[in-house]
Formats: sequence, structure tokens, C-alpha cells
Amino acid sequence: MAESELSPKFAPFIGMGGIASAMIFGCMGAAYGTAKSGIGIAGVGTFRPDLIMKCLIPVVMSGIIAVYSLVISVLIAQDLQPGSNYSLFNGFMHLACGLSVGLTGLAAGYCIGVVGDKGVRSYMLQSRVFVGMVLILIFGEVLGLYGLIVALILNTKSKG
Amino acid sequence: MATRRIISEEKTLLEKDDSIGSSPAAGEKSDTSPAVPASVIIKLLAFTLGMIIIPISSYFLTVNSVFNGNSTYAGALAAIMANAVLIGYIFVAMAEDQSDQEGVAGAGGRSKEGKKDR
Repeated sequence: MAESELSPKFAPFIGMGGIASAMIFGCMGAAYGTAKSGIGIAGVGTFRPDLIMKCLIPVVMSGIIAVYSLVISVLIAQDLQPGSNYSLFNGFMHLACGLSVGLTGLAAGYCIGVVGDKGVRSYMLQSRVFVGMVLILIFGEVLGLYGLIVALILNTKSKG
Repeated sequence: MATRRIISEEKTLLEKDDSIGSSPAAGEKSDTSPAVPASVIIKLLAFTLGMIIIPISSYFLTVNSVFNGNSTYAGALAAIMANAVLIGYIFVAMAEDQSDQEGVAGAGGRSKEGKKDR
């Protein structure tokens, strides 16, 4: 790798930090969402086992948060090649990609966890809560999607 | 005179002929069939595998063939496919609930009681 002022040796380290932060923070959010809404399902399932199928929706949504992080990690990892001229701009841009999708995933997973736990418990008592719960979950989910969109747009700059 | 229990005619614990809760009567087999029907388990397994496989495979299948190496569109497609799986799950869960309610109405509320006992 030719070292220059614009592409120093430590630039790939910053990019790797982007990959790691995307996966770590995104999976922290997904894990919190899965665990917290899983507690709610365990509470509902003992009283109304027929509702479990519908109560699993927050768990599926938490899984999607992890898929967002995975997509961005794969995208960044494809740009990192040993021996290529990897500029410091690319490194910081990949860090921004990873942090944006990771931390929005953490926020979305936290939101899905709290809403999923309380939402399914309310749904057990009042079935009309379901539409509102799913809507709130979708709005929480969209927070992670915004991070993904920003990361995808940032990632296109690395070609230039 | 005090009456004595006739021990010879009494049934021991092993000979009990009524089923108490999930404990079966003597000579009967206990009900070990799963409480969740197989169709539900198949649906959940299908969605689990779909959640794992569909976004990743859609990315790697289309990145070079459809989008000519433009990984941004392929990544966006992977995210859209993940959301498609979620929407499919919501529809299936709604249909599941409606079929449950029809089953309850058909059996006159008897099956609902059984479901709660389960």
C-alpha cells in the first residue's frame, strides 16, 4: 500500500472501526429488543397462548435491525482490500456509516423492546391496542431505517 | 365400635382411574403431543429461515448480476426484502388470529376453554 498524506497507514483501522461499530451497536439494540419483548411474550403466553403468534412481531422487527447492521457491514467490508489505496477520507466515511447504522439501530431496538413489552401486555387485555402497537413499532423500526439510508448514501461516496 | 378402613378394597396410588390435570389415569398414556400445532411451527421455522436467508441471498445474488456491482442498490434491496418478510409475517399472524376466532365460533366456545387449559 502506497502511503501518502491522503492515505496514511492507519486509515483502514478507522474503516474497520466502522464495521465493528455497525455490528456491535446494531446487535446490542436488536438483542435488547428481542429480550425485552420476549419477556412480554413470556408474560402473555401463560394467560393467552393463542396471542403468541401476533405478539412475536416485535421480535421479528428486532431481527430486522440486525439485518440492517449486517448489510452495512458487508458493504463496508467489500470496500476494504489489502494493498489498495485506502484514503483517510474513506476510513472516516466508513466509520460514519457504521456509527450511523449502529447507533440508530441501538435506539430503534431500545424503542421496540420497551413498546413490545408493554404493548403485548396491553394487547392481552384489550385487543384494540394491536393496531396502535404495530404502528408504534413501525415508527420505531423506521428510526433504524433512516440510519441505514444515511449509511447507504454515505457509502456511495467511496467510489469517487 | 369404631369402623375400620377396608384397606384391601382401596385403590393404591398406582391404580388411580381418574386423570388429574396432566397426570393420566392408570393404563392410559399421558398426552405428550405438542400443544402448538405443526402448521404453526412450520410457519415460524419458514419465517426464521426466510429472515436469515432472504436478505443476504438477495444481496449477493443481485449485486453483480442485476445491479452490475452497484452495492448500494443491492444493499437497499436486501433491506427491502427484510421488510417484505416482516410484512408477510404480520399478514400471516393476522390470518392466524382470524382462523382461531372462526374455530372458537364453530365449536361454540368449547375449544377456547381447552386452549386456556393448555
